Amino acid sequence: MTHPNQSILALYAGQDLGWFTRRRTERHLAACAECRDEVRAFAPVRDSLAALNELPPLSWNRLAIEMKANIRLGLAAGECVRGEPVAGPFPFGLLSNTRALTACAGAMALVALGLFLQRPTPTAAPAIAADNSVLRATAGGIELNQGGQTLSLLHVRSTDVTYSAGAQGSMRAGYVDSDTGNVTINNLYVQ
Amino acid sequence: MSSKLAILFVTGITALCAQETPLDNPVKINLPVDSPLTLIATTLGESHVTQRGSAVVLDLDVSLTLHNSSPNRVRGVTLLVAAQEATPGGKASVSVPSLDVAPNQNFPVRINLRLLRPAQMGGGALVQVNLDGVLFQDYSFYGPNRLDSRRTMTAWEMQAQRDRKYFKSILAAHGVEGLKQAMLESLNRQAERPRLDVQVSRGRAVASAAAGEHNARFAFLRFPGEPVEPVEGWAEIAGNEARNPRIDVRNVSSRQVRSVEIDWIVSDRQGKQYMAGSVPASGPEFNLKAGSTSRVLQDTALRLSKDGGTPLSIFGMTGFVGQVEFADGKVWIPNRESLASAQLLGVLEPSPEEQRLMDLYRKKGPKALADELNKF
Repeated sequence: MTHPNQSILALYAGQDLGWFTRRRTERHLAACAECRDEVRAFAPVRDSLAALNELPPLSWNRLAIEMKANIRLGLAAGECVRGEPVAGPFPFGLLSNTRALTACAGAMALVALGLFLQRPTPTAAPAIAADNSVLRATAGGIELNQGGQTLSLLHVRSTDVTYSAGAQGSMRAGYVDSDTGNVTINNLYVQ
Repeated sequence: MSSKLAILFVTGITALCAQETPLDNPVKINLPVDSPLTLIATTLGESHVTQRGSAVVLDLDVSLTLHNSSPNRVRGVTLLVAAQEATPGGKASVSVPSLDVAPNQNFPVRINLRLLRPAQMGGGALVQVNLDGVLFQDYSFYGPNRLDSRRTMTAWEMQAQRDRKYFKSILAAHGVEGLKQAMLESLNRQAERPRLDVQVSRGRAVASAAAGEHNARFAFLRFPGEPVEPVEGWAEIAGNEARNPRIDVRNVSSRQVRSVEIDWIVSDRQGKQYMAGSVPASGPEFNLKAGSTSRVLQDTALRLSKDGGTPLSIFGMTGFVGQVEFADGKVWIPNRESLASAQLLGVLEPSPEEQRLMDLYRKKGPKALADELNKF
């Protein structure tokens, strides 16, 4: 018996096969327990991929405001540096308003894209409802994350740190401050 | 010209987007008028704010110098740190236990905080620091106690006395060499203590996390003389996530109990034990009269992983009473012998005082440690 390859089975599990290939795969699956198991195994992977594909929540209005502000700033900067015509390596007459604006718009589009890509993104998403707050220990301290905004207490003067969690919604990091010699205990709470 | 314009524009925008500026007055320190502590100085060290796209990252490196203006020796301080605009449901605190500050002495408190928030938020002090409590040598307390810091600091002070007593008894019986051996044992125990990465969240988990969920029962350790006994307890387990612990406890003492904290240990398939956290119960709704039974209940999920992210499959759970606060503010903690005989010393994190003593030993040696113990 010739088994369908992995990609066919994965596409079948995701209901992404065309009619003809789907029918052929169904016929095979009806007789092949091994491939049925493969298809079943793809189901959770498919769910995970669907979750990964979800975009982080974006404030489109805020993004639009930022882009408009950047465009205004760019235009103002253009006005600032335009000044009087001077002799230069390029004939000034070639730089019509249209060309300058086109160049400016291109640069702004680049900057807007940069801003978009640079936006702080949430860290590894835990399987907790998006509206929940999460407390965790990070390399440099303890962190409270609420919808992408974070509050962290850091232990910059020690590497020997003990962490403990409180089921009422708290996280604690205890260390000896190397400058003062005092034990310092940082706590974060979520209500 | 157009290329120059574009370069100028891009440079300007880049500078605007990633500028790092020092902070003028981002922190407001509020001490009550009748506070036993006085603020002597605030320095902001390398505090700065960095703009990143539409967000700002605020790095605060605050050093406070406080003065003990009371007639008592200060044993601990807790400061409430609030950045309500950025994290409306969250708050932070910085505690300094194991202090021994005489009247009219100054002492430092450091706060290192990082805040990531949208740039559009309003002005005003970004962070407010308020005094939550001061614990004195005689266990008297000053402060609003919003974070239950009286109980926490009292328990730390009792642990400090317990652990100093233990090390002093070794010093008395076996001298500095015996103390050195005991410290090395402590250091080794802490180095070998299995550690977990714990993520805490409140509220509902998504449905996918519920696959394979089951209720697991706590096994309980009992200590001689404990005023509250755990009766039975459960938590929902799904893979490496433990949720909604609920534990019934009975007050077997003759005194009214105001709060109880159950320490929670989980074990993996190989039987290796890890400290997962604690399950506290306090507040007006929790009032455990002598002889009565009540339930410790928390709507929380703990996600556990080890070795840098490997999910821990929870195979067993153990609980024990780690702290009891009576209605008069006195606190019970297990003694060191009980913890040792239950083989918990290698699982629990050290007390703040043991942490301090170990640090002192590491930096200054056994003689300096012996001198420090002899001060008390």
